[in-house]
Amino acid sequence: MDRREFIGITAAGLGAVALGLEGCNSPHSIAPSDWVNVGVIGVGGRGQHMMRMLLRVPGVRMTGLCDIYEPRFAEGRKVTGEATAVYNDYRKLLEARDIDAVLVATPLGLHAEHVIAALDSERAVYGEKSLGRTVEDCNRIRDAARRTGKIFQVGLQYHYAPWYQEALRRIGDGRIGKVTHIHACWHRNNSWRRPVPRGQEAQLERLLNWRLYREWSGGLLAELGSHQINFANAVFGAMPESAIASGGIDYWKDGREIPDNLQVIFRYPGGQTLVASYVTTNRLDGAQERIFGTGGSVVLTHTDATYFKEPSDPNSAVPPELAIQHKLITGPTYSAEQPYHGKGESAKGGEAEDADLLACREFIECVRSKRRPKADENVGWSEGVTVALGNRALEEGRRIVFSEYLGAATSASQQLSERNRQS
Amino acid sequence: MLPTNDAVENAAGEVNLRPSSHQTFPNPCGANLAVAAGDTLRARSHRAMGTEFVVYLDAEDGVQARACFDAVFDEIDRLEITFSRFQRSSELSRLNRHAGEGPVVTDPEVFELVATALDLSEKTGGAFDLTVGRLTRAWGFAGGQPRIPEQSELAAAKELVGWGNVILDAEWRTVQFARPGVELDLGAIAKGYAVDRAIDMLRSLGVSALIDAGSSSVAAVGEAFSRGWKVGIANPLDRGLTICEVELGQRALSTSGVREKSFVHDGRVYSHLLDPRTSDAGEAMPGTGAGQVLQVTVLAPSSMLADALSTAMFVLGHEHGSAALAQFADCSALWIHSEADGIRCFGHGWPGDDFLS
Repeated sequence: MDRREFIGITAAGLGAVALGLEGCNSPHSIAPSDWVNVGVIGVGGRGQHMMRMLLRVPGVRMTGLCDIYEPRFAEGRKVTGEATAVYNDYRKLLEARDIDAVLVATPLGLHAEHVIAALDSERAVYGEKSLGRTVEDCNRIRDAARRTGKIFQVGLQYHYAPWYQEALRRIGDGRIGKVTHIHACWHRNNSWRRPVPRGQEAQLERLLNWRLYREWSGGLLAELGSHQINFANAVFGAMPESAIASGGIDYWKDGREIPDNLQVIFRYPGGQTLVASYVTTNRLDGAQERIFGTGGSVVLTHTDATYFKEPSDPNSAVPPELAIQHKLITGPTYSAEQPYHGKGESAKGGEAEDADLLACREFIECVRSKRRPKADENVGWSEGVTVALGNRALEEGRRIVFSEYLGAATSASQQLSERNRQS
Repeated sequence: MLPTNDAVENAAGEVNLRPSSHQTFPNPCGANLAVAAGDTLRARSHRAMGTEFVVYLDAEDGVQARACFDAVFDEIDRLEITFSRFQRSSELSRLNRHAGEGPVVTDPEVFELVATALDLSEKTGGAFDLTVGRLTRAWGFAGGQPRIPEQSELAAAKELVGWGNVILDAEWRTVQFARPGVELDLGAIAKGYAVDRAIDMLRSLGVSALIDAGSSSVAAVGEAFSRGWKVGIANPLDRGLTICEVELGQRALSTSGVREKSFVHDGRVYSHLLDPRTSDAGEAMPGTGAGQVLQVTVLAPSSMLADALSTAMFVLGHEHGSAALAQFADCSALWIHSEADGIRCFGHGWPGDDFLS
């Protein structure tokens, strides 16, 4: 094994994965029986984005759009490029016969109602993350997927990003030693507020800015942190056993009800820790996950992964010949405690593709082949429950012990761990 | 670059313009924005698509203005991620990677923009060409160091440039190239499209606003201060001087000029506005040569159309350009040529003609 193997993405390996997914770009080769008709519940910003992605997959048609805000119909039809049927009641959409699969992109607090109804209507469902707003919602969605046996994929698109998968594989292989900590952040510098049409503020504020109000929203942890929590749960092969949190409405005091900054610390059964931070007043650090192992580190962003090797020392789990030597500051001011500012080894991971597109392609393939998606209801449940209990730690201002809310937490963790080993 | 005269900048980089007297704020696209005493404009800039987008809002409510800025810039970023030639995960890059192998299905928004670009390529006889990217790269104008390419490089690029290489199937929504190696470059149209989408968004929000995209595109919605949005067309030889003023109503404005990106070699000025038909870089020597096109400004019903046509009108020049422009409803153009003693202006349907030759 050489350094390249430790650090570099083997282009052939990942290329093969990417080609497998990218193999078919043309709709001509899709048999009529393999066309997938999709109905959409929730045609807001995220819904429209995912509709565009689905329409880039050969053999997909949008056959129904549902929203309670009428301007979304015109916007949605602009995305589909045709006079797609529109509904203002999701039950009507689910009654339509020309729908094979349903995309649910509604506010978090409505996921359970919409996803369960869609599963009960015998449709495959792509449900946006986070899985559900409460532990109970998450349980209900997972149980409905199991009960109906229908395909359910949760919108954790980085599950399909090659550079994330490669990082998981290398971490699993012990390439950065034992992972003890993950520091995740999603730092922005904006109000997280959507503009409301002039003169209609009173009627539309809560509808368009639902993310800012507790009734429907899980806040920054649900909307942003879910991806990172999903990744941490996969790295540690378990759900956390406890969470503490801090945060508040400290800068954007504009009537919102959810925190504009939030820090949550999750402890995992193996003694590992996830420190997750969300701020809306500074974007220096952007969105990233820093995975710290005894032998090295990985920094993941939305587009790439960078690998670092710890300087050789007796505790290093990685043989020195595999090391990328840190170019530590030398000379009289040398200090081993200085942060490392040099470059690591960058790896984008095979064919660069949009993670949402990869996730949509996987979903459609699963619908056609009746295959279970990788990001299934179990993956979603693990993520959704972790988010819900992280939020609970903040709301209650105390340490939340997961087993108090999940009778079968241990076995659930074991299941997840088992799944990870298999995949 | 945001104007700074009499401006108050807050921590978020937002600038509120409070001029003490009537004055014109020069902006980098050759258009000058007129703001009168007592008016308050909020402005914020954002870097995307290789240029600087500046949004000016006539909004009293600061919270709402901030949300508008964020929403507009999010939408512009989305379109950059979609149409970028440089980001490997963009939809355009995916088409460029695979359309040489066979038909590739894409979403209606992308298909429509490609189809529009192809239609404009045909109507302008290739003066605007959606496959010009390889040529731009050969000349080093695509992020590299601009230079005169080797003949072999130019010949290789020429083989792959030509809108006839793009095959679209509207029924199946597929894009295909006649040969491998062809590349789509929507740079001269995507920025205008982004402005159009931003304007649509602001219109639906009931906001009066002007958007200036870097060195070429300006569009407005609503009536600022009940007087409309007025912009001035700058003299390419002296940006401080205004040649004429235009009121932006339903039409968007786009300017193409040699000054945006150019380099000098052996005393000749080579512009990024390449002629895809001949593969030559536009040549001009501002202030010295006579009859050279220095700048073209187009008014069109959409910013997307104005963008593409200002590029094409620059390449075609006044005479051929006028004939081509006649195919497009409600479009006007202003050509500024260099003369031995200054500049000369030619118009096609241009509002106000007292300064025209």
